[in-house]
Amino acid sequence: MVTYSSGVQDDDDRVFKALADPTRRRLLDRLFEREGLSLTELESELEMTRFGVAKHLRVLEEAGLVLSRRSGREKLHFLNAVPIRLIHDRWIHKYAEGPASVLAELKNSLEEGDP
Amino acid sequence: MTTSDATQVYQVSIKTTPDEVWKAITTPEFTAQYFHRARITVTPDAYRSYGPDDSVWGDGSVAVWDPPHKLVHEWRSLYDPELALEEPSRVTWEITQQDGGICLLTVTHDRLEGAPRTARSVSGPGWTSVLTGLKALLETGRPLSGGAA
Repeated sequence: MVTYSSGVQDDDDRVFKALADPTRRRLLDRLFEREGLSLTELESELEMTRFGVAKHLRVLEEAGLVLSRRSGREKLHFLNAVPIRLIHDRWIHKYAEGPASVLAELKNSLEEGDP
Repeated sequence: MTTSDATQVYQVSIKTTPDEVWKAITTPEFTAQYFHRARITVTPDAYRSYGPDDSVWGDGSVAVWDPPHKLVHEWRSLYDPELALEEPSRVTWEITQQDGGICLLTVTHDRLEGAPRTARSVSGPGWTSVLTGLKALLETGRPLSGGAA
């Protein structure tokens, strides 16, 4: 169970730190595709030791991005997108309109227009 | 669909008391402000949800009524004719008090084996937007802009 004894800023820090790693983002992508995977199932697709995957999962759990449930002998992992949505609402939504979205559209059209 | 992916789990921390969370998830005046405008009434016997036009959006039994800690009720997606044909699933709300005046609210939507369309419909932005809307309402006293729709 995740403990939130500290402030909102610390929660955000944990989420940004957890997301700042390609392996952890891959684990989240995998759980987005299919919920309720065990460590063994998650490990099978990564070229990494079981210990390494478990360590990454712990960081994701501490950030509240992954929740786990016991099912018999197995521990199953679930994606919790609520912290990402909160960051979206708090930070990104503010910049999504106006100049930022004009620049984003410009970037999209330029990139799509590449030969 | 296996048992594991017929389960979805969501969690949000809210700076409020367990009583406030309980009130917000069981009384229509609150739910209308964050739950897709649904007016939801939960009693020890039944869970009932009505849309803004008074049509029935949900109707199910209540399995656990333990205020302000745990609520378990049946889920039927009556707001959509196709989803309404699916088998009922189950929603569990768990409220735990943390240090610093924070409540941890965990929502588990499971037994979705017989309701794959409902599972897809409530996943992703579904439960996520409901829970961020609930957090905003309890922490600021105001619904999220556009979050009530």
